[in-house]
Amino acid sequence: MNGKGNIHLNGPVEVVFEKLRDPEVLQACIMGCQKMERVGENRYTADLAIGIASVKGKYKADISLEDIEAPRHFKLVLHGKGAPGFVDAEGVLDLTPHGEQTTDLAYTYQAEVGGKIAAVGQRMLGGVSKLIIKDFFKKIKKEMEKSQKSA
Amino acid sequence: MKTIGRRIRRTEDARLMTGRGTYMEDLQPLPNLHHAAILRSPYPHARIKGIHTERAEQMPGVKGVVTGRDVARWTQPFPVGVTAPVEYYSLAVEKVRFAGEPVAVVVAKNRYLAEDALDAIEVEYEPLPAVVDIEKALEPDAPVLHDQVGTNIANDRTFDYGDVDGAFSEADLVVSHKFNFPKFSATPVETYGVIAHHDPSENHFTIWSNFHGPFTLQSVMAAALQVPSNRLRIIIPKDIGGSYGIKSGVFPYMVLMAVVSKKVGLPVKWIEDRQEHLFASSSGTDRVTWIEAAVKRDGTITGLKMKIVDNVGGYIRAPEPASLYRTHSNTTGAYKVKNLRMHTVAVMTNKSPTGLIRGYGGPQHYFPLERLIPMIAKQLGMDPADVIRKNLIAKDDFPYRTASGGMYDSGDYQKGFETVLECAKYDEWKKRQKEARAEGRYLGIGLACIVEPSGSNMGYITMALTPEERAKSLPKSGCAEGATVSIDPMGGISVRISTVPSGQGHETVASQIVGEVLGVDPHSVRVIAEMDTSTSPWTVASGSYSSRFAPVGSSAVYHAAQKVRKKILEIAGKQLQVPSEALELKDGKAIGKDDPSKSVSLRRLIGSAHWNPQALPEGVEPGIHETAFFTIPTAMPPDEKDLVNGSVTYGFVADAVLVEVDPETGQIDILDYVTVHDAGKLLNPLIVDGQILGGLVHGLGGALYEELAYDANGQFLSGSFMDYLCPTATEIPPVTVKHLETPSPLTPLGAKGLGEGNTMSAPVVIANAVADALQPFDLSIDTLPLTPDRIWSLIRKAENKQPILEGEK
Repeated sequence: MNGKGNIHLNGPVEVVFEKLRDPEVLQACIMGCQKMERVGENRYTADLAIGIASVKGKYKADISLEDIEAPRHFKLVLHGKGAPGFVDAEGVLDLTPHGEQTTDLAYTYQAEVGGKIAAVGQRMLGGVSKLIIKDFFKKIKKEMEKSQKSA
Repeated sequence: MKTIGRRIRRTEDARLMTGRGTYMEDLQPLPNLHHAAILRSPYPHARIKGIHTERAEQMPGVKGVVTGRDVARWTQPFPVGVTAPVEYYSLAVEKVRFAGEPVAVVVAKNRYLAEDALDAIEVEYEPLPAVVDIEKALEPDAPVLHDQVGTNIANDRTFDYGDVDGAFSEADLVVSHKFNFPKFSATPVETYGVIAHHDPSENHFTIWSNFHGPFTLQSVMAAALQVPSNRLRIIIPKDIGGSYGIKSGVFPYMVLMAVVSKKVGLPVKWIEDRQEHLFASSSGTDRVTWIEAAVKRDGTITGLKMKIVDNVGGYIRAPEPASLYRTHSNTTGAYKVKNLRMHTVAVMTNKSPTGLIRGYGGPQHYFPLERLIPMIAKQLGMDPADVIRKNLIAKDDFPYRTASGGMYDSGDYQKGFETVLECAKYDEWKKRQKEARAEGRYLGIGLACIVEPSGSNMGYITMALTPEERAKSLPKSGCAEGATVSIDPMGGISVRISTVPSGQGHETVASQIVGEVLGVDPHSVRVIAEMDTSTSPWTVASGSYSSRFAPVGSSAVYHAAQKVRKKILEIAGKQLQVPSEALELKDGKAIGKDDPSKSVSLRRLIGSAHWNPQALPEGVEPGIHETAFFTIPTAMPPDEKDLVNGSVTYGFVADAVLVEVDPETGQIDILDYVTVHDAGKLLNPLIVDGQILGGLVHGLGGALYEELAYDANGQFLSGSFMDYLCPTATEIPPVTVKHLETPSPLTPLGAKGLGEGNTMSAPVVIANAVADALQPFDLSIDTLPLTPDRIWSLIRKAENKQPILEGEK
């Protein structure tokens, strides 16, 4: 399963880049993320609770950022596992300045799931992942607008 | 009173329809039962680097955790009838080989606590590349599942009967094609259930389960548990909520729970849930078939070559690779083809293991064979009905010996086939099709004739071995069943059967038989269908599979009843001072055939057997408790030329189907379905019709809806009834069932088995009809199920390749 998209964000590219790596922001913006901790340079762990079709469950995820070319590009690698199975996902994000105060963000992703989620959630998976990703960027966008206002 | 052959209502229904059935979940045979839940692998292929159970073991209510290490220490791998050294245990040991494979078991005070504790077990996996496709698994660089086997091939045999090269060199036409049959299942309403209890004082296991046989697997289980077979007692409740073969796959879980009970020192209960059932219980094999037919210009088929490859999943387990050989004796179907070459292969891939399923091997077999008939007809410009007529075995040919050794006991195939054409109004259908095409609608007619084997001869399973390998052990032909008829001092008649019904109505039919033989009302006869390997009369072949009740099981009941009848008549003869041959049993009395004044009541005779044994005729034992075992002499072990008669009776099914396909949506509408059956003498036509409809709907599922699907990485994709579609009442087409009754000369009542025939015929007859409907397009129907998206894609592909001109439509 894979997909791609893009979004226009308020904020200079450097700020957007930093926000996307801030565990607090990530925890607030990732649907079902109950806890997010930095455990090392560009490495995080997270507790996620997601329901896909009839499979609701909790996942422990290891997240790492790779191929970092600050502030333009990075790859996010996620390996999550829990009672309903596992999720292996990779996202590549490319940031391009759009004027001085806004940024264009383009992303591609691919994900593989296994276990119960694959067995009973496969039909829904494409739609659910699209939903989660769209929701994530929508919240990032709000986060950017919020921080701009407070700034 | 004649009761055999009458449409008697099922005695089982009173309890089943009022919710008083006794199933696994209802059983509470021991105090202090604890509950098990199973942790399963999310990976199709992975090494297990470690399992951490400490946290789960500490959780409240948890009594113990069992892992592959315990299972490897306390059991042996299950024996299986192939030479490939495959080690299959009831829990994954070191490696997992299919998504859903059991990895650990938690026992707790209740199921909730057990399931919660599963989440606390941590398994470290090292994922390995997986393979699920049959042809890919055969490639030299494919991931290998079992290192000690070296390849993914579990069984590989070739067979050559007659003069195949001669037939092909003299053929006017050779028709060949490759076919794919999907992995499909049966989804009984009741899932697997097991209660296991280990008694350490005797190292004795008692297991309650809804296992329906065959009892060859009792020895497989005892071997795995490393106990003498009389230390493994299996008890099966009187009601099983359907099986259709699938429940024979419960045996690894029976052993697993036995080990779990032994380790935790408690009786343990496990009920499978629906997701587990679809994920990992059992299924039929998916199969690839390459088939070639040598054909004469007049439509006569003179030779067949087939290569069949069955996918037995992550582990080959008993009774596989029997799916390859169940139809070996009837490979040439209803046709007189004397030259046959077969190459049979069982391959292991990262899918769930397979086993018995209604029609076992038959749907996979008849799909290519019967699809070929209209292909031959098309190439010769003949009507498919004429190709069938040309090749059908004639009435005078019976008993007919097939190329591969099958002994077809009786039949009148021409009459059966002409009956189906007549009932279907075949010529009228052809007219309707022509008119529809003119309107731009796509109607199609499908025909199929199949031979339905019943009452399997367990010896056919040893066809997996070469004659030389077979010669090293005892010749095997197990095909027997036992039954006991007893009468208590008050005259109550009980019948104990060992056929382990899973809804087929054996109690009703057994009571009909005993009632008729003993001259009493069948409703007064009590049939005990509960099975207990320690107290029931059973054989290696016992169980309800391969439609064996009608030819074998009911015959054992008949013979046991005859023994009782003979004894009662002997006692009556002495009391009435007449030869027992002059008496008959009628209306609860022994009565003179010619002199009705000579009469004594059954109750009195039975009372004498119990209360006054000293007055019995010489040589007659006290009490009335007779057991009979029945077998059929034609069930011989395979011979040194690989000829085998794999079943004892062979029925016949002819189907005709009319469909309409919507080329815009790929939707298939079955307009009419006519099926003609010959299963010998019918014991209870009411039950027969139910069985036939059930088998047909199962076949309909295989034709149009059902597939246990996997993605290319080996992830299982159809783990719920939203993903694994089964036909429901609204999908059932109009069906007309007609019967012929050509009695079997081999069974005392002339009966043959039935109920699996349409599971074998429906997938192909519907495929034939769809192919016929879509003749205007250049496409082939060679893969099932015929889902709308598959049909739609085929049509689009054909259109892009070669646009259909208006004039050609």
